[in-house]
Amino acid sequence: MIWDQLQLNPTITAALQRAQLKSFKEVVCVSGLDLQRLTGLSQAEVQEVLAAAAAACRSHSPVTALQLQRGEHHGYEFGLRLGVGCPVLDQLLRGGLPVGGVTELSGESGAGKTQLGLQLSLSVQYPQEHGGLNSGALYICTEDPFPIKRLQQLILEQPVLRSDVPPSLISGIRFSDQVYIEHTADLESLQVCLSCRAPLLLAQGLVRIIVIDSVAALFRCEFQADDWLERNKQLLAFSSSLRHLSHEFNTPVLCINQVTDVFNQSADSLGPSSSSVCPALGLAWANQVTVRLMMRRLQGMISRGAQTSALRRLEVVFAPHLAHDGRDVGVWREGVCGVLDAE
Amino acid sequence: MRRPLSSLNLGTNVKVKLGRAGFQFTSDLQHLNPEQLSQEAGVSQQEALQVLQAADTGGGGGTFLSALELLQKEEGSRSIVTFCSQLDHALGGGLPVGKTTEICGVPGIGKTQLCLQLAVDVQLPQCFGGVEGQVIFLDTEGSFLLQRVVDMSAAAVRHCSMLAEDEEQQVAMTTFTVENILSNIFLVHCRDYVELLAELHLLPAFLQERTKIRLLIIDSVTLPFLQLFDDLSQRTRLLQGLGQKLIAIATNHNIAVVITNHMTTRLRGAHSHLVPALGDIWGHAPTTRLLLEWEGSQRLASILKSPGHMETTAQYQITCEGFRDAAQSEQPQSKRSRTFTD
Repeated sequence: MIWDQLQLNPTITAALQRAQLKSFKEVVCVSGLDLQRLTGLSQAEVQEVLAAAAAACRSHSPVTALQLQRGEHHGYEFGLRLGVGCPVLDQLLRGGLPVGGVTELSGESGAGKTQLGLQLSLSVQYPQEHGGLNSGALYICTEDPFPIKRLQQLILEQPVLRSDVPPSLISGIRFSDQVYIEHTADLESLQVCLSCRAPLLLAQGLVRIIVIDSVAALFRCEFQADDWLERNKQLLAFSSSLRHLSHEFNTPVLCINQVTDVFNQSADSLGPSSSSVCPALGLAWANQVTVRLMMRRLQGMISRGAQTSALRRLEVVFAPHLAHDGRDVGVWREGVCGVLDAE
Repeated sequence: MRRPLSSLNLGTNVKVKLGRAGFQFTSDLQHLNPEQLSQEAGVSQQEALQVLQAADTGGGGGTFLSALELLQKEEGSRSIVTFCSQLDHALGGGLPVGKTTEICGVPGIGKTQLCLQLAVDVQLPQCFGGVEGQVIFLDTEGSFLLQRVVDMSAAAVRHCSMLAEDEEQQVAMTTFTVENILSNIFLVHCRDYVELLAELHLLPAFLQERTKIRLLIIDSVTLPFLQLFDDLSQRTRLLQGLGQKLIAIATNHNIAVVITNHMTTRLRGAHSHLVPALGDIWGHAPTTRLLLEWEGSQRLASILKSPGHMETTAQYQITCEGFRDAAQSEQPQSKRSRTFTD
């Protein structure tokens, strides 16, 4: 019986059992007066029950921000970020993706979203002093087959991209062994993956980033326009399970999203946008996102040595800790890199 | 005054026992002591004592205050400045202590930024016009990023050390440091609505220990309750209870309560517009409602609901230092302060 854990007076425990209250959650969700009526206990006794049940529900007592900063709180590492592997972009993101919370990366097709996703699933494997998290990646594909050839190419080119890291360290990491790939063609299998397989991988420490490429594909194709209520419900369930995983295991989550055209330029209630597109899935999804990044393809080409690349721009749309800013980037053989002095 | 005993805040079984023994009104209990009552009505001594206390105080109605006394009390209490002088002016000096305020807005507009700014500002020393209090921050979204709080604290300390003139302010500056600011912010992560409700149950005891806390922030109140998508009646009931509890905490402990809320789309005919989430009933819970919104590339804060302020709109911006006045319109892009808007 759960009520025995609370060390309450036996008469109170008996009254709670008689009232058929089964969990702490039930008690916390009923008002004090209702609880008096249900159990027949006095006001003081009910207060005692409520306090005990509430204490059992919470995971930890309040900690000060200073304790967090000094790392005195279990399970929180101050300023821990997952670096992208390019100094220009890491500076834009103040170190990289935050480890708690959902980061969204949206952009048109061909903007380079998947490239950045692939790059992150490699950079996570570096030790912490090189911007990684010393663990693997879970890459969930919902759109295209996983670009395995491109991943191989990126792995081979790692010494070029990460010239700051000693080559012996790079050759010691078995990159392709630590990228777990999952193809989910419908919402149901995505949910199974997030509720069963992902927690297993995370709990064993095999994985410390979840990339979903892309969220829009499933939610856009599985629902008719008039199914929006059901779609919202599924979207909320999905995002709450993502957030739960992210906070439970201190793991960054990257959701790649498509974009939708803005028809009505006057209704820019979601903020000034520098382009004619905005991320898909609407306000209900936007409310769930902690950091929103956007990638755009600009006019023009840039070249470096023998390679040329279309000019792109990575922008921070909003984030609790980042300024609204952007950097020009190019996609090269070794990965996504910021362009210095584009102006 | 003939007040029925059934209207007092007592357990049902006690009320039944009192009724059976023939006690109907509070006046029936006037000349009894606990022992007599416990014998006559067959209740325990402790219960009898509770009954008599409840009958005496009229069920915990509290004491009466005249309007003049209330005015004097309110004038004595300070407000928490927001560091945006336009908004402070509109709110009559800042966010009122002892009231509940809701901040609504679309994602990325700066709700969390304002919350973090307030968490720093509530600690301003009194000689700088601050409240010099501590803050408890209930984070339900995981958007409390320490890095940003450190930025804002450092900016506030810099700002005040530039203003410090007389000796009192110089002395106050020795303790107004980033480290002290961080040590005065108490943080709790609530992952779902059960944890949030549990935390609010425990809060009065915590506030009794920490009498210096002057601000409670819940960022956001919406997210945990979105999980109750299926059971709207339960959601409404829990939210009502939550609103009542917040008002009780604000008045009993004389602290400012700040909560944030999302926006949602409402269709009216063929037009859709944005309204604060959680429905119309929730709108009654907060005393003041602030709406943050975009107008072009300009950020606006307007007072949506308030019993004591005009419906005003103030411009603001979010800089590296935090929540600040909008830059002068002559020079919208000042090089000195890198802004979020461009």
